[in-house]
Amino acid sequence: MKFKSDPTLVDFVRTEVAPEGLSFKPLHENRVAVRIKAEDADKLAERFISKFKARLIHETAVDLEGEGFDMIYIYDFSKVRERLVVVLEAQISKDDPSPPSVAKITWQASWAEREIHDLLGISPKGTPDPRKQFLPYEWPNAAESGTAPPRPDKGPSGPQEKWIPLGIMPNDAYATLIPIGPYHPGVIEGQTVYVKVEGETVVSADIKTGFHHRGIQKLIERRGYHKGVFAAERVCGICSAAHGLTYVTACENLYEAEVPDRALYIRTLLLELNRVHSHLLWIGVVADVIGWKTGFHLSWGLRERVMDIIESITGNRVNYGIWRIGGMSRDVSKELAERALPTVKALKAEMAQLLPAVAAHSVVKSRLVGVGPLSYADAFDGGAVGPVARASNWKIDVRADNPPHAMYDPKVISWEVITDDDCDTFGRTLVRVKELLVSSDIIVQCLEHLARTTGEVRIEPKVIPVNSEGIGLNEAPRGELVHYVRASEFNMNLPQAYRIRTPSYRNNALIPKMLVGSNLADVPVVMGSTDQCLACTDRFEVIRESGGPSHSMSWAELVALGKRRGV
Amino acid sequence: MADLAFTIISIALIIPISLFLGVIYAFLLRKFNARFQWRVGPVVRMYSDLAPVIGSTRVWQPMYDILKLFGKDTLIPASAHKRLFTWSPYFSLFFSFAAVLFIPFPGMPLLSDAPYSLIVASYLLIASILFTILGPVASGSPWGAIGARREVELFLVAELGFVASLFLVAFMKGSLVIAELSGTVGSIPMVLVTLLAGITMFAAMLGKLHIKPFDMPEAECEIVAGPYTEYSGKLLGTYFLAKIFVLYNMVALFIAVFLPPVSSSVLWLPLYVVAALVLVFLLAVVQVLNPRYAIRKALTWYLKIVVPLVILGFIAAFALRMVA
Repeated sequence: MKFKSDPTLVDFVRTEVAPEGLSFKPLHENRVAVRIKAEDADKLAERFISKFKARLIHETAVDLEGEGFDMIYIYDFSKVRERLVVVLEAQISKDDPSPPSVAKITWQASWAEREIHDLLGISPKGTPDPRKQFLPYEWPNAAESGTAPPRPDKGPSGPQEKWIPLGIMPNDAYATLIPIGPYHPGVIEGQTVYVKVEGETVVSADIKTGFHHRGIQKLIERRGYHKGVFAAERVCGICSAAHGLTYVTACENLYEAEVPDRALYIRTLLLELNRVHSHLLWIGVVADVIGWKTGFHLSWGLRERVMDIIESITGNRVNYGIWRIGGMSRDVSKELAERALPTVKALKAEMAQLLPAVAAHSVVKSRLVGVGPLSYADAFDGGAVGPVARASNWKIDVRADNPPHAMYDPKVISWEVITDDDCDTFGRTLVRVKELLVSSDIIVQCLEHLARTTGEVRIEPKVIPVNSEGIGLNEAPRGELVHYVRASEFNMNLPQAYRIRTPSYRNNALIPKMLVGSNLADVPVVMGSTDQCLACTDRFEVIRESGGPSHSMSWAELVALGKRRGV
Repeated sequence: MADLAFTIISIALIIPISLFLGVIYAFLLRKFNARFQWRVGPVVRMYSDLAPVIGSTRVWQPMYDILKLFGKDTLIPASAHKRLFTWSPYFSLFFSFAAVLFIPFPGMPLLSDAPYSLIVASYLLIASILFTILGPVASGSPWGAIGARREVELFLVAELGFVASLFLVAFMKGSLVIAELSGTVGSIPMVLVTLLAGITMFAAMLGKLHIKPFDMPEAECEIVAGPYTEYSGKLLGTYFLAKIFVLYNMVALFIAVFLPPVSSSVLWLPLYVVAALVLVFLLAVVQVLNPRYAIRKALTWYLKIVVPLVILGFIAAFALRMVA
């Protein structure tokens, strides 16, 4: 299948969408890059959102070294024209890096603006939340000092509230600041959610991220396009298929891409298997958080069987390593597809029983209904994505709006976008359980097609042109995932910039909004309901007592240790 | 004199018996849980390759866990009220163990024929739980404080059901001596009211033993380890040992008061064992089927379900006494 673009779109963008643009560059597949003056960014944002109902996908910046910074705003116009994505680019100087803030118009840019201030020192004018995003709030002061240095343009960013220890005779313990994290049994991820509780009711909440910086974006910028796919998969251990597919979509977007049909089916198959295992994992986690260990074990038991299918197809359980620019590295044989089909069908029948287990269990419902409310308006303005947005009755799904390089053509594969109007954790659970069934339908259709047909799965990769830009959009299990790649102007094999915006980046920002007013017992449920992404490591250091030498365990030693059962 | 000697011997015997049975009950709870959840749980017969290394069975796993804790360092946080923090686990253990002496075992009435033994036993059990609240409050940890707060809220309603069900039977049979309650069966209407009280007692046991959906004081996803957050080593082991005795006490008290005359004679011992197994199995089933309630929901559940049932029982018991 060849991915073509609509040549009339540049004129449409030039005349109607952004007449202020300085220059217009058609990219591949209905993406248009527009170079603007930095001062126009907020004006354009306002028009895009109010007039065209466009949606800001991501705001980021690229360091051009001697020439300043390039601000990049990616907008989704798929409601106006099919698959149209507009990339606004504005160059700013390093002497006064303060473009107008977009976050004051659409709050969802808030985290992005905090991030670019942290990492590049760009401080957007009039941004509503000038606190640090990834650095400690107090930086460069010591974290224990409790005070942040004032920012010249915004005034003080406010001291972080201190945890009040509750002794046997608390003086002012009517409100307690409870730090949930960085490590907490409820949500096993390095992040801190500060909740201030009166009794057990949350009166205010704040989320602080930035506990594991792994440098994957920089790694991809240094390793070249074809090696980058393996680094991209390792962004997340759960939705690795989504990251792999998004990466190859972004790179294929740099040139007039062609991918064999069979490869598209395999990509869809893997992505949906990945979604099924991710959603089953999520159901297990939420069951655990509400104390339903049985639900946890049942859903993880089902998940194991999905993992077995994935392993039989790719040879791996977590990072599949079969994504390639221009196709896939492995075929799914007829025998394999026929063997997997009855398993998937049986699995679907068992997963269908999860729905009544969740929807009819009175104690489960008492823990989920009305917990973590998020109205449609809040979800829209806050930029919720994925099941969180769909549970707020917002029909947003990248697979339908702006599909990745996989087979989601409604003429070929029948599937539907699930939404729910409960606007709470119960709705998010229902959406995910129903999506399990839709995904297994898609898997069955893909397997049937793969068993029926044969064909190539990969074509020779073309030379990736210099000076191009690619945007990979994909619906990860947690929501819209974006990879933005800008090819280098000089080097044929290295991107100049690579940016990843994960769905949790958006949904986590909404957690404080959902938390206020809820019960302390519901805090982990609300945090879990957005299905936060985890980051993991796979090695450890053995440190001998009494100052002896330390050494890292090798893979062989780890395996040997794991095999020594019970000792 | 012979009576006194017999009592002393039976008190000496009940120490290992109650510990043994408590550990067995805790093991069975874990095993039933595991089997319902597609897990293996603590194995009864160890795999042959591991048996030479770690022993032939893991039935004593709950005890091993406690013994392990006794070998660990005990940390006392600087912010804690030291005396209260340190002594609470021991008091909790003492009271839960003291309650053992007032509850009859088949063939061993122990001190259950002492006057007001029902009141003494229930007070001792309540005191034991009281010290699982006081210690954590003294620890200075917000998690401990919130866990203790939840324990207090749950304690108020679960204890209400516990005491009311016990005294419903006592009121009906006109006695506050456990030995008398466990010896007399009564008429068929009396058995029916006892059954009703048994149901409310079972609901109260769920709260007292922290069986889901009433395990919110120990909800580790929400409040880390709840009351036990700052406890470690010997002090934590002491708390866990107290819990073993509380588990034994609750089962034994249930059988003594609500299933007469099972506890009254050594001949009933097989039935006692069956009754205990069924009770533990039912606790495990409830544990497996339910997620955890939020604390407020748990309170309303007790007030809406257990309290009306108890009131109904009291009306029936009053009517029975009027007729008699």
